Amino acid sequence: MINVLKSFKNFFSKMFGKKKKVKLGLYGPPNGGKTTLANKVCLDWLGEEMGSVSNVAHETREVHIKEQVVIKSKGKELSFNLVDTPGIATKIDYEDFMKVGMKEKEAKERAKEATKGVIDAIKWLDDMDTVVVVLDATKDPYSQVNVTIIGNLEARKIPVLIVANKVDLKKSNMKKIQAAFPQYEVIGISAKFGKNIEAFYEALFKLAGQ
Amino acid sequence: MPHQCVKCGTLHGDASSAILKGCTKCGAKLFFFVRDDDLARAKERTFDLTRKEKDQIEKDVYDIIGNEIDKELPVVLDFESISILGPGKYELDLVNLFQKKQPLIYKLEDGKYMVDLIETFKKFGDKIKK
Repeated sequence: MINVLKSFKNFFSKMFGKKKKVKLGLYGPPNGGKTTLANKVCLDWLGEEMGSVSNVAHETREVHIKEQVVIKSKGKELSFNLVDTPGIATKIDYEDFMKVGMKEKEAKERAKEATKGVIDAIKWLDDMDTVVVVLDATKDPYSQVNVTIIGNLEARKIPVLIVANKVDLKKSNMKKIQAAFPQYEVIGISAKFGKNIEAFYEALFKLAGQ
Repeated sequence: MPHQCVKCGTLHGDASSAILKGCTKCGAKLFFFVRDDDLARAKERTFDLTRKEKDQIEKDVYDIIGNEIDKELPVVLDFESISILGPGKYELDLVNLFQKKQPLIYKLEDGKYMVDLIETFKKFGDKIKK
């Protein structure tokens, strides 16, 4: 019976066009590895990267969308639009960029764009169907940024998956991240080296209710 | 509640015509929104910034708001959401920014007009309503 219903559903969705594409957003503080993860996903399933990454915070200052990403696992298929967002911060200071060798003018421009990026990222939140919060597993998870993002997702009833990135680094502490957000599933990965990425994909299926 | 000119720091009283016509001292149309209990802080705010820095802040704010905005119209910044301490130095109150109902920027037109920036961004394209 269920199969019959499913084929009816498929038939009608093909007849009348597909429903709105699921938007999967990557959110988190700067330098957590959102774009590195977006690149890994795109490379794995589309064969091309999404954006540039660097060690300097606020590398991504605009919202980027990769449409029609289809991932497959154990015979299942999940298709979504991947939305990579600028890092959310409470303080953006050009002097921090100068410390890593940037010229003053460039640093100020970056600070301005990063501020606009935060506003844009927040603006986009309402359009998201599911969100992956990407945290740096080497950093203290109890920050205002993390708590505000996750609290707001909860308030808006948007399904959340927390990714603790950079688990390849010795300083990383998965348990601390898990302890900070006990009501969420936390997946430890290294987006850079692809470590545990299969578990991440599995969790995405679960998040999307498949 | 008072407003403070971003450029010259002059404070203008509530419902002052300067907010619509431009600062009485320098003519700029960009203002900080000042809560009564925040007046002392506001008086110090632009104290040590040079004219060049203030000009830069004004330019940056317009950049952040977006190009679509009409620079001839007055813009009032609400300090509850974003503080600009100087060019390239920003403090963001995330709790306020995430709250959709909290207006980020008040933009006054004909004396009775208020815009939520977050909503405004969405509506760019169909232009600001008159």
